[in-house]
Amino acid sequence: MASVSSARESLSHALNNRFLPNLEYLLQGSILDSAVEHLMHRLKGLCDNVDTSPETFHDLEVCMSLRQPNSNQPLLLRVRRALGRDAPFQMRYLGQPEVDQRRPTLVRSCMDCACTNGILEFLTEMGFRLEFEYIAKGYMFRKGRMKITVSKLIKIIPGKQQDMANEPISQSYIVELSVVAPTGQENVGEEMRVFAEQLKPLVQLDKIDYKRLGSMP
Amino acid sequence: MSNSVNISVETTCENQIREIGYDGTELYQPPPTLSESLAKCAARIDFSKTSLDDLKKEEKTAAAAEEENKDGTQFQESLWPWDAVRNKLKDALTEICVLSDVISIAKDKRYLVLDPLLEEGDDTKPIVQVYSRKKAISQAAQVLLSGAERLRNAHSEQRSRNVSDFHIELLRLRQNWRLKKVSNAIIGDLSYRTAGSKFGMSGTFEVTKAEEASDDDSASTSTTSSSTATNNGMQMKASSALRVIVPAELQGVAYIKVITQKDQEDLCTAQVNLMGHGPNITAQVGVWQKTLEFAQNVLFCKELFAQLAREAIQLQAPIPHVVIGNQIRATLLPNIQLIISLCHSTTFDSNQPAPINDHDHVLEHSLHQLLREVHYKNSHHPFPHPASAPLGPTKKRMLAGPMAADRETLLDMTKSQTILEQIIAQAQHIFMRKRTQYVLDTLARDVKDPQIVSHWNAMNSPTMSCVKINIVTHGYDAIGRTSLVIHVKERSLKCICRDGRVMRLSYEPQELRDLILCQINSHQISCLVSLARCMAWTVLSNSNHLGIGKVEPLGNASSCLLASPNGDRMIAVQIRCDPQIDVKVYIARSPRQDFFPSPLVPEKLWENLGGNFKEVKFDKIEGKSFLNKMEFLMASLTSNTA
Repeated sequence: MASVSSARESLSHALNNRFLPNLEYLLQGSILDSAVEHLMHRLKGLCDNVDTSPETFHDLEVCMSLRQPNSNQPLLLRVRRALGRDAPFQMRYLGQPEVDQRRPTLVRSCMDCACTNGILEFLTEMGFRLEFEYIAKGYMFRKGRMKITVSKLIKIIPGKQQDMANEPISQSYIVELSVVAPTGQENVGEEMRVFAEQLKPLVQLDKIDYKRLGSMP
Repeated sequence: MSNSVNISVETTCENQIREIGYDGTELYQPPPTLSESLAKCAARIDFSKTSLDDLKKEEKTAAAAEEENKDGTQFQESLWPWDAVRNKLKDALTEICVLSDVISIAKDKRYLVLDPLLEEGDDTKPIVQVYSRKKAISQAAQVLLSGAERLRNAHSEQRSRNVSDFHIELLRLRQNWRLKKVSNAIIGDLSYRTAGSKFGMSGTFEVTKAEEASDDDSASTSTTSSSTATNNGMQMKASSALRVIVPAELQGVAYIKVITQKDQEDLCTAQVNLMGHGPNITAQVGVWQKTLEFAQNVLFCKELFAQLAREAIQLQAPIPHVVIGNQIRATLLPNIQLIISLCHSTTFDSNQPAPINDHDHVLEHSLHQLLREVHYKNSHHPFPHPASAPLGPTKKRMLAGPMAADRETLLDMTKSQTILEQIIAQAQHIFMRKRTQYVLDTLARDVKDPQIVSHWNAMNSPTMSCVKINIVTHGYDAIGRTSLVIHVKERSLKCICRDGRVMRLSYEPQELRDLILCQINSHQISCLVSLARCMAWTVLSNSNHLGIGKVEPLGNASSCLLASPNGDRMIAVQIRCDPQIDVKVYIARSPRQDFFPSPLVPEKLWENLGGNFKEVKFDKIEGKSFLNKMEFLMASLTSNTA
C-alpha cells in the first residue's frame, strides 16, 4: 500500500482480483403463516448462534426507476432502510437473474452500497421515479456465509400512518436464502442447495424466474 | 396343517402416507381415480390356474400389470389397459365353450361317460377345530408369559445389583457431550469448534462398552493405554458400563502457569485450567465425565498456548518475546518478566508439587475470558440492518461510507489487540497498581503530619484503575484540603491535581513519591496562608516553586512570608522536600525594642525596614502538627506586641 490510488482504480482492482462480492446466489420460497413457527424451530436448530432469540428486522424498501434513453428496460435501484434503528440506508442494484438449469440457484449480479438518508432525494433529483415500496418485517438467520430471511411483506397505503396501514400482502411469509460472493465461486450454489434440502418439506426453496411470473395473470 | 389358524389381514382404509413432515404431519397419497382403481382391480383378478398355457399367460399378464402399477401415465405404451383382462376373458370363454361341448357330449353317454371319483372328505368336526385353536392360543400365551417373566427378572436383577446400564449411561453422556454414530462406533467431539474455535487439533473421542468388571481391573493395570480412566491417574473405583477413549495427545492433566518474575524472584503466579469451574456434575453422571472434562481442559490449554505462542512470534515488541518449548517470556517492565508456560503431564505422580493456592485469579480469569472472546467473535458476527445489507462488516464499517471516513479511520478499524498484548497490558497494570499502592501506603506511614488518605475505586477495568488522594491536616480539615486523582494505567500514571494540572508519570515509583511530597509541600503552604488570614496576619508573599535545591518538574521547595497584624513581626517559612520534608521557620521583628542610634542608622524609623531573620527551632515548638505549631507561633508573636 505504497500510494493511495483512486476509487475507480481500486474498484477495478477489486473486480479483477475477484474479491469484490458482486454476485448474489438466491433461492426463494414461501410458507404459510400457520406453519412459520415450525420453520423457525427448524432454522433455530440449523443456523449459527441462535442461543438468543432470532434477530428481527423491520425494513422499508423503496424501488426507484429511471428510464434509459436507448433501452426499454428501466434502471431499477432499491433503497432500503431499517425502521426504528440507527443504521445507514442501503442502496442496491440487482441485475437480470440468470436462471441457468445447470446451476442449483438463481444468480444475479448485485451491488450494495451504504448511503446517507439523502439518497432518495438525490435519486429523485437525478430523475428517478418511485416504482413501488413495501415494508418487510421478519427474522434473520445466518449459517456460515448464508443469510436466511423469513419476512412478511406489508403493503404501504399512501397517506396513512405506517403503523396503521399494517396490511400484509398475503397470508404467508417469504423465505429467502442468499449469499453474496465474488465471481468464480461455484461451490456456493451447492452449499445452498444442501441447506435448502434440509428445510424440506417445510418450505420448498427454489429458483424463481421473475420473467415467467410477469406473464402470469 | 389341519389345525392352522387363519389370520385375516386387512389394510387400513386410509390412503397411503407419502411422507411424514418433521413436525409430524402426514401427507397422504391422493386416492386413485375410479377408472384407475377399476383397471388396477381388473388386472388383479385371479383367473384360475388350470393349465400350463394359462400359467404362462398369467405370468405375462402379471408383468403387464406391474408395468401398469409402476407408472399410471404409461398406459398408452402397453397396448391397452384392458388388454390383459380381455385376453384372460377370451381364454375363459374358450374354456367355457369347450366345457359346454364336453357336457353336451357327455349327456348322450355314447362317447363319454362321467364317473364320480371317490374322494376322502376332509370333514373336520367343529369341536376339533375349537380344541386345536385353544391349544394354539395357549401355546402363544406361554411364549408371551415366559418372555415377560424373563424381562421382569432382568429388570429386578439390574435394580438389585445397581449396575449402571450402558444405554442409560450413553443417554447421560449424550445430554452433556456431542456424539454421533459412525457405522458401528460411537464418536464424540469435545472440541470447542461449535463454540467458535478454529484450533486445528481434533477433539474426538470414542465411546465403547466396558468389559466385564472382573477383567476390568487386570486390563486397566496391565495393558490398556486405551482405558483413559487409568491414564488420567485416577483409578475409578466405581464401575461404569461405559468407557470413553480419548486420543493420546489429550490425555493427562494440563494447565497454564503464569508467573511474573522480578530478578528470578516470583512475584505472582497464576495457574490456568478449567478444572473446578462450573457445577460439578460428576456425581450425577458417570466417571467418564471426569475423563472428558480433563481431556477438554487439555485441549483448551493447548489452544490457548498455541494462540499465545503464535502471537508472541508475530508481535513486534521493543524487547522481543521469546518462545522456547512450552514457555513464552515477555518483558513487562524493566527487570520484570511475564512467563507463560504450558504444563502437560500424562502421568500422575504424587510427588508432583501441589498446585499453588495463592495464584492470581484476575490474570487467570482474564486468560480464559480472552480466549472465549476470540471464540465468540469467530462465531458471532453482527447481523446487518437493513436486512439487504451484506453480512460481515461491522456496524462501524457500514457507517464508514456514509460518514465519509478517511483512510486513517478505516485502518484503525482493522487493528485489534491480540490476546498476548492484552495479557501483557493487564499484567503491567497489575504491577503498576501494586507499586502505586505500595508508594502511597509507605508515604502515608512515613509522613505523619499531613495525613494522606487514598480511596481506591472499587470499579475498575483490567487495564485502568483510579485512586483519589486527600491530603488533610488533623484538626485543620476546614482550612485546607488538597486532593488529587491518579489514573493508574498500563505503563504510566496520570495525575490530575485540584488546580487542573495534569501530569503524566512513568512507571518509576520515585516519580510518584516526588509528586506526593510536592503536593504535601503546597498543601502545608496553602493551609498556612489561610490560617494566617484567619489570625489576621498578612500574607506578604508565597511561592510554590522557589527554584532552590533540586529542580524537579513537579515542583520543589516552597515558601511563604507572613507579617503580623500591626506589621512589626514577620515569619518566613520554607519547606523543602528533596529527600525528606524539611521545614525551616524564621522570624524577624522590627522595630527593635531597644534602639541605639549609630552613625549608619541615625533614626529609629529606619528600623521599620525589617530586621534580620532568626531561625526558630521549629521542632521544639509545642504542637502536634506543622499548622498547630505555626498557629502557636503566630499567636505568641501577636500577643507579644500587644
